[in-house]
Amino acid sequence: MEAFLRYWLRWPSVEHLIYGHLWVWGVCQSLHFVGMALLIGTVGILDLRLLGMAKQFPVAALKKLIPWGVFGFLLCLATGLIFVTGIYANINVHPYVVLTSDVFLQLKLLFVVLAGVNLLLFYVTGMNAAVDRLAAGEDAPPLAKFFAGASLLLWIAVMYFARLIPSGKFQP
Amino acid sequence: MEQFLRTWLEWPSVAAFIQRFTWAWPLGETFHFFGIIMLIGGVGMFDLRLLGLAKQMPVKAVRKLLPWGVTGFVICVATGLMFVTGTRANVPMSPYDVIKNNIWLQLKFVFIGLAGLNLLAFYVTGMDSAVDKLGPGENAPMLAKVIAAASLFLWLGVIYFGRLIPEGL
Amino acid sequence: MQQFLESIENSAFSTYVRETPAWPAYSTVLALHTFGMAFLVGLSGVIALRVLGVVPELPLKPLKKLMPMIILGFWVNAGTGVILTSLAIVSFSRNWDFYVKLSAIVVAIVALTKMRTYAFADESAPDDAPASPEARRWAKVMLFFWFIAVLGGRLTAYATNIRIQSAAAVAVAAILLLLLATYLVRRSHRSPSVEARV
Repeated sequence: MEAFLRYWLRWPSVEHLIYGHLWVWGVCQSLHFVGMALLIGTVGILDLRLLGMAKQFPVAALKKLIPWGVFGFLLCLATGLIFVTGIYANINVHPYVVLTSDVFLQLKLLFVVLAGVNLLLFYVTGMNAAVDRLAAGEDAPPLAKFFAGASLLLWIAVMYFARLIPSGKFQP
Repeated sequence: MEQFLRTWLEWPSVAAFIQRFTWAWPLGETFHFFGIIMLIGGVGMFDLRLLGLAKQMPVKAVRKLLPWGVTGFVICVATGLMFVTGTRANVPMSPYDVIKNNIWLQLKFVFIGLAGLNLLAFYVTGMDSAVDKLGPGENAPMLAKVIAAASLFLWLGVIYFGRLIPEGL
Repeated sequence: MQQFLESIENSAFSTYVRETPAWPAYSTVLALHTFGMAFLVGLSGVIALRVLGVVPELPLKPLKKLMPMIILGFWVNAGTGVILTSLAIVSFSRNWDFYVKLSAIVVAIVALTKMRTYAFADESAPDDAPASPEARRWAKVMLFFWFIAVLGGRLTAYATNIRIQSAAAVAVAAILLLLLATYLVRRSHRSPSVEARV
């Protein structure tokens, strides 16, 4: 498994792209930020509405913004993959080594997974269907509020750990 | 992270319990099997209906089997945790090393993760509400069939890799 | 008899499956045995759940369509079971638990066919009609003997004293879980206002 990952996590073509053009890393980071803004701006607003903020909004209207949030997540995923597969161009450390020795990167990925599990539970417990029916002024069920609060905390934690990634220790 | 996992994946009380009570491990294994049976009977049945088996059943009715499937999954997770945390009762290795070196256990976890993503896709793509409307004799949308087939494939894969774990020890 | 069994165990096929590197031969046979069990017991269990009224929402007649998959599961297990037995037939022949497993399977299959006959007998019955008392009785018999078969199968690998203890432990745990399940199912039947969540 280790050999497999060591081979496949490093993409020389991505590294060449980053080496060859000074603007690539900066553009990717900016797009990563745009994706983050889209994600927090849509999913985060929905979470805040479920928690009771700005209840004049019917939930169905806010839900229509969620596809933008998903797009933002995919943007982060794509640029994130560029960072991981091309990291050798920036610091002389193999992506596999970075993944296995940078605690903050590991925690970030763990919390992304937890956010996914939270989302799955939101659907599986029927809370998604329940909140769809919420009109303007109506309060969300307590379980939905729990998932909304958890979602906010988890995504903020993702951002927190991500900010610390460069401070992680890379032991070759 | 490694130190953290090494410490927390191994539960000496579980390993001691397994060594002290020789019925503990077989109990876990048997209930792991019951969990597999419930998972396939519940989730597997739902997937098979979406793929067209016994189409006269409205999907909303087959939905009632899903809690049984989820219960089976939970039983498997609980007994599986016992196996992982109590590994040292059986082999002279820490759970961290077993996970790090056993390709079958790793693949099993990957496939469980993929099954979770597949389930998320089922909801996020709206197939969840789409299939609820299917009455007797009606075909599921193609995407729902793909997700159902993937689900069956992934869970059978989990069972397959699980069976191989002892070979990789 | 001993020589005959030994000749099976030492046959070219048995030796090949047993001694080649575990993957793919032995492990695939073993995994197929697990798949067969999952479909055979899992799907016949679904029919039993409906017959016993635990999941009354399922229409009874369409469940007959599950029989081909159940039968396929049985034959996959019969075939892989023969292969697996031949690998160590000498020790299996001396293993009383193995005979318990086989007998339990025979009874479970008989119960399955009887349950099927009684449950699907009345062509004109409405979908939500409760199953006949005979069908219910055979459903309970089938579930009990599947329990014995699965438990017995797992315990063939262990020594007798561990077997007895484990069987007792599993029986205790199963009874407790069955009581809990009965309580939860009764509670869910009493409150139909709970929307279909899952």
